[in-house]
Amino acid sequence: MTTDAITKIETDGLNLFYGEKKALDAISIAMPEHQVTALIGPSGCGKSTFLRSLNRMNDLIAGVRIDGNVFIDGTNIYLKNVDVVELRKHVGMIFQKSNPFPKSIYENVAYGPRINGESNKKALDDLVETSLQRAALWDEVKDDLKKSALALSGGQQQRLCIARALAVNPDILLMDEPASALDPIATAKIEELIYELKVNYTIVIVTHNMQQAARVSDYTAFFYLGQLIEFGETKKMFTTPEVKQTEDYITGRFG
Amino acid sequence: MQRHFDRDLDSLKENLARMGSLVDDQLDASCRSLFSGNIDLATVVIDGDAAINEMDNRIEKQCQSLLALNQPVAVDLRLLMAILKINRDLERMGDIAVNIAERTAALAPHREFVRSTRLEEMASIALIMVREALDAFINTYPPLATRVLESDDIVDTLNRNVFYRMVRAMQNDHRLIEACSHILILSRHLERLADHATNIAEDVIFLVEAKVVKHQTSIRPTGVTGE
Repeated sequence: MTTDAITKIETDGLNLFYGEKKALDAISIAMPEHQVTALIGPSGCGKSTFLRSLNRMNDLIAGVRIDGNVFIDGTNIYLKNVDVVELRKHVGMIFQKSNPFPKSIYENVAYGPRINGESNKKALDDLVETSLQRAALWDEVKDDLKKSALALSGGQQQRLCIARALAVNPDILLMDEPASALDPIATAKIEELIYELKVNYTIVIVTHNMQQAARVSDYTAFFYLGQLIEFGETKKMFTTPEVKQTEDYITGRFG
Repeated sequence: MQRHFDRDLDSLKENLARMGSLVDDQLDASCRSLFSGNIDLATVVIDGDAAINEMDNRIEKQCQSLLALNQPVAVDLRLLMAILKINRDLERMGDIAVNIAERTAALAPHREFVRSTRLEEMASIALIMVREALDAFINTYPPLATRVLESDDIVDTLNRNVFYRMVRAMQNDHRLIEACSHILILSRHLERLADHATNIAEDVIFLVEAKVVKHQTSIRPTGVTGE
């Protein structure tokens, strides 16, 4: 963790409204490259809304209005000329509930690259293998790639979804409570995986589990009522937070 | 599954071993300065304490982060608790080294008298206890820790012996009162040094066997025998 890390994602005065309701209030934050940033806060604090604004998933929701800026690698992703499909290739997303396609393991991972025009069998094979390896699933499924993805355990399905996201070669991964539906062993595997993935990717993770935020992240952002209350190194946030509200939340005194 | 937490714990253990080695060097040098009247060496010891204090802070901070970020349980929790306590004992032992060194100049003119006491014997046993306690931690080897616990009684007996001898010496020759007072305090420090080594040994047993053996003078861990 260095203070002079390169900023990968930056928001500047980001406001988001659901109709009349202001869900995000002037969020300005700079998330460093190749680090894990955890977004924490009580339900309804805006952390998932904020996460979804980083790859314009909120565009799909009726009545949402956004102002302010979101920069990825210095480019404002809300400019009119930005290709959202292209954006989402760079900014992959993993959801709380694993959502594999009802296809084979192989096809799940190969799906994205195929859509993007890759048809060479050898190239696809390599992509599938590399992606599954990076998602720490290869050893468990390599002999049975034709098996239905739906036959995998919950933890394996979630790692398959991570492999599927990696196959289109993103450089940012957004994770919305990726382990909340998993047992402790599967959760530990996902957490270790996140730790390993940050070497190659910038990761932003929403979690309700503060201990998980402490374990996996380098930086933590605490949201409350749509505002960013505190952002800083996780080590500092969890030992000597600067804002009383942060301390009260992470020690379980409110929220 | 290798946990990244394990890598952090390894780094912490390495730092504690480094701290132990620093303190061991300081104690060794302070005793040599005392028994040989080497004031220059004593100065080196006094200056060397800053490095120990710095390491003390670093280890404590590392423990704080690991506790806050990983919520350790069972053997991981015992390890962090043991390291926090051992670190504190080591820091106090570093202070004892400084105190011994600080008395070198005052006792330099009384070297022969100092040698006539059993202080050197005490120091040598206490230093062995310190080394064995640290080795027991580094190698997670409780039998060595048990041996340290057993040696503590010897140092206590020597401390009492030094006390009575100093009282007698002061009664016989009031010119020795100042030297004897220094020796009494040194004897007390060496006895405390052995106590700190004993604490570390108890922490090693707590770490490996999850048994609390402190404050139980007649109870020693079962299944563990001295070599």
